[in-house]
This record gives sequence, structure tokens and C-alpha cells, in this order.
Amino acid sequence: MNASKTGHPAVELTAALLLTASVCAGFWTIFSQLEWTRSSAALWKYRESLMQGWWVSLVVSAGALIGSCLVAAALVAGQRSGLRAVRWFTQGFVEVVRGMPLLSLVLIGYYVVLNNRTVSDLLSRLSGLLGLAGTDYDLAGKLFAGILLLSIFTGAYLTEILRGGLDSIPLAQLDSARAVGFSRGQVMRYVVFPQALRRVLPALAGQFVSLVKDSSLLCVIGVNEFTYQARAFYAATYLGVEAFLPLAAGYLLLTLPIAAFAHWLERRFKAATAG
Amino acid sequence: MKLQADSLTRTYGTLHALDALTLSLEARVLVLIGPSGGGKSTFLRLCGGLDEATSGSLEINGTPLGHDPATLQAWRRRNGFLFQQFNLFPHLTALRNITLPLEKVHGRSPAAAQKTARQCLDRFGLLAHADKLPAQLSGGQQQRAGLARAIAPGPEILLLDEPTSALDPEMTAEVLELIQELAAAGQHIILSTHEMGFARAVADQVALIAAGKILESGPPSSVFGAPREEFTQRFLAKVMRFS
Repeated sequence: MNASKTGHPAVELTAALLLTASVCAGFWTIFSQLEWTRSSAALWKYRESLMQGWWVSLVVSAGALIGSCLVAAALVAGQRSGLRAVRWFTQGFVEVVRGMPLLSLVLIGYYVVLNNRTVSDLLSRLSGLLGLAGTDYDLAGKLFAGILLLSIFTGAYLTEILRGGLDSIPLAQLDSARAVGFSRGQVMRYVVFPQALRRVLPALAGQFVSLVKDSSLLCVIGVNEFTYQARAFYAATYLGVEAFLPLAAGYLLLTLPIAAFAHWLERRFKAATAG
Repeated sequence: MKLQADSLTRTYGTLHALDALTLSLEARVLVLIGPSGGGKSTFLRLCGGLDEATSGSLEINGTPLGHDPATLQAWRRRNGFLFQQFNLFPHLTALRNITLPLEKVHGRSPAAAQKTARQCLDRFGLLAHADKLPAQLSGGQQQRAGLARAIAPGPEILLLDEPTSALDPEMTAEVLELIQELAAAGQHIILSTHEMGFARAVADQVALIAAGKILESGPPSSVFGAPREEFTQRFLAKVMRFS
């Protein structure tokens, strides 16, 4: 399936480069009209806190990526439970979380629920067990809470993506899988899941890219991630462009590899399923 | 094989796919014929342990096929089943389609599974296509690979639900030839088909199913040669008009 018109590769490459160059030139003209005095020295001064923020964003994103998969696995299982009450509860939970702005989920989740004395005692013990509790208990707690809330939020989205993929596998495949003697678990593991995963891969990748960017919202509860540090830098220096350009670049550094990896997997699967 | 069905009923909502079907016979190759929607597929699915009866009983070779999931799964593992189409798992190569159940269901070692699978593919003239995905095979090749997968574990009974209905005449011939070979080699088979010439040639028992009941059964010479029921006579006259 190739809908695009193709020309000579050299011509196409040149055209692509020209397009990119003209867009870059446009932005260069716009940005060059700004005043750039003081800025490089200030950026240099704050480089460590910005770098550290980037690392925190990386840790939060990686943690929430794993966490959201666990949440989604539990919710998908809940959606397919034999008990109607569990199915209803799961679906309700998914809809409420998906329908809520992440900002409210983070603020209410952190300041109201997780800061409740009983809950926070429980969590601090848990984060201690997981080795997340450092010398700075407050920060570790915030980090843990941030990862947890982001995992729940993204997990709800992943659940619906996965449900769509699982439901799209034709019944004939289930019959064939049962006919060769697979048990219920084996039908899922060897037949349904691998096929569903191939179908939802682009949507999953998009969700993981969103997750990385959504982690920026955790600055509202004081997680010292990348956006938090960029805002701190901006507040101290009033250098907006100098704060937010590196911020954009830093997030792209996290999101582009995810997109590239997903495209690579897609190509591999496509080569493996179509002649 | 010995098959005993007693008042076997399967309803889907208000539809009676099987309506108190009763049948008792011994056969090596049982062929089910009859009009579409008459209940052939439903009866085969029950015989294969893929579906459960609403009421009545079914027993094959002394195994009662009731509602116990463990018994039904054990039964499915002992027998082979082939559908009209979409048998193969599209994300696995022809070879892996055969080795995966051999390893995971029948506990063969990967090496032993490979050996058996290659033998089966070779027997069906598919060895050159072992590493292709189903989408890269023709319809006839897909059905032959499906058949190879069904017989690889050495099934007690092979159940085939209109195995050639989705194929063109040339591919139909390649698949029917293989089934005939298997039957000649002593494989016990229950199959449904619209290929009357084939049914007559391969069956030692034929049963005509219509409206969820057995209308007539017996050796092909009597069902095809001297049908008792008027419905059978009309059905056969209609389907054999051009053959």
C-alpha cells in the first residue's frame, strides 16, 4: 500500500531538505530579533538544576511507563472478569479517570488523598521498601506520588486502547486456538495478545509520548522535574525563551526515541505479517 | 469410532440449530451432508468439544461430551479440527503454526516438534513454504497447512467442517485428495461437505442433517443409491443436477 507519488530519490531528498531549511530559516529570523544578551551566561549558571530536572523527568517517565502498564494489565483483567460487579467497577473507574483533567487528578490525588495521614504513612513505608525513599523524604514521597498518579492516568488510557485491540481479534482465531487444544491462558498468550499488540502499537506509542509530556504537570505538586526547573530558572532570570527552548529540546530528546522505536517495531511486524 | 447422540439440542436464542438430534453408529469416516443452516457445523462443533449442548447427550468412543471444561479441553487435545477458513494464526509462519501447539499443548521438545512439523509439511507438499506466513500462501496451501497442523499430534479423530467451501475447484481438488489419502491410511474422520462425489467416495457412513435433525443415515450406497426419505431424494436431485 503506497499512496504517495514517488520521484527520483535525490530530487525528493533535496525537496525535503529545502522544506526543512526554509522553515528553519523562518524561525531563525523570528528568534534572531530577540535580545540574547546575558542569556548564555545565565543558562550556564543554571545548567545543573536543568540537567537534574531532565533526569527526574526521565525517571518519572520510565517509572510511570512501567507503572501504567501494570495498572492497564490489572484494569484489562478487571474488564474481562467473570464477575459483573468487577467489570462495572473497572469500566466506571476507567471512564472517570479518562474524563478528568490530569491537573485535577494530580492536585486532588496528591493534596487530598495521598496527604491523608493514614494513606501517607502507608505510602512512605511502601516507598521505603521500593528503595525510593532517600534522605529527602518529602521529595521521594512526591516523586513516588507523581509516578503513581501518572501511572493511573495513563493506565486508564492504555486500558481502552488494549480493549479495542483485544476486541478486534476475530472470533475465528479464538476457535482455532481452542481447537488446537490451547488453554484459556494460552489462547490469550500465544494467539490473541501478540496479534492485538501489533494492531494497537501506534496508539500505544502515542500514549507513551503523551505520558512523557504529561509528566511536566507534576510540577504543580513540587516534583522537581524538568518543567519545574525550567520555570524556576525563568522565575529567577525572566529569560522565557532561554528557559522554554531547552525545555522543548529536552522533551524531544525523550519522546523522539519512543516514536522511533515504535516505528521500527511497526516496520518489523509489517514485514512479518504481509507478503 | 463409536458415536452416540441422544436428543441432542443446541439453541441460540430462539433458533434451534440442533433439534433433538439422535444418532447411533459406528464409522471410520462419517460424512455429514445437508442444506446450509441445517445444523452440520453445530453438530461438528459439539463433536469437537468446541461447543456445549443445551440439552441431550453426546458420547464419542466412550467419552461423554458434556459441560465439564476439563473433559472438553482434554477432548480437544486428543482430536484435530479444521474450519472452512482462517485456521492458521496469521502472525506465525506455517512451520510455527504447527510446532507451537506441539510444544505447548502436547509437551514435545522444540527439536521433536520441528521434526514432526517438517514431516507433515513435506507429506502435504508444503515444505518449501515452511517459513512463509499464512498471508503469503494460497487458500489451498493455507487449508493444507491447517490440515497438517491438525494431524501433526496424531489425532484420534479428525473433524473437518466444510474444509473446501472457501476454495476454488482446483484448490478444492488438492485438499480433497489429501483427505482421501488420510482416510485411506486409516484416519478416523468426521467431515461435513457439499462435495457429493467426494462424500460418496470417502465415506463409510453418511448422515443427512436438516433442520437440526438426522433425516437419513447409512452407508453411502444406500443414502446416495437408494434414499428412503423424500427430502433426501429432493436434496440429492438438486445438488447433483450438474454433476
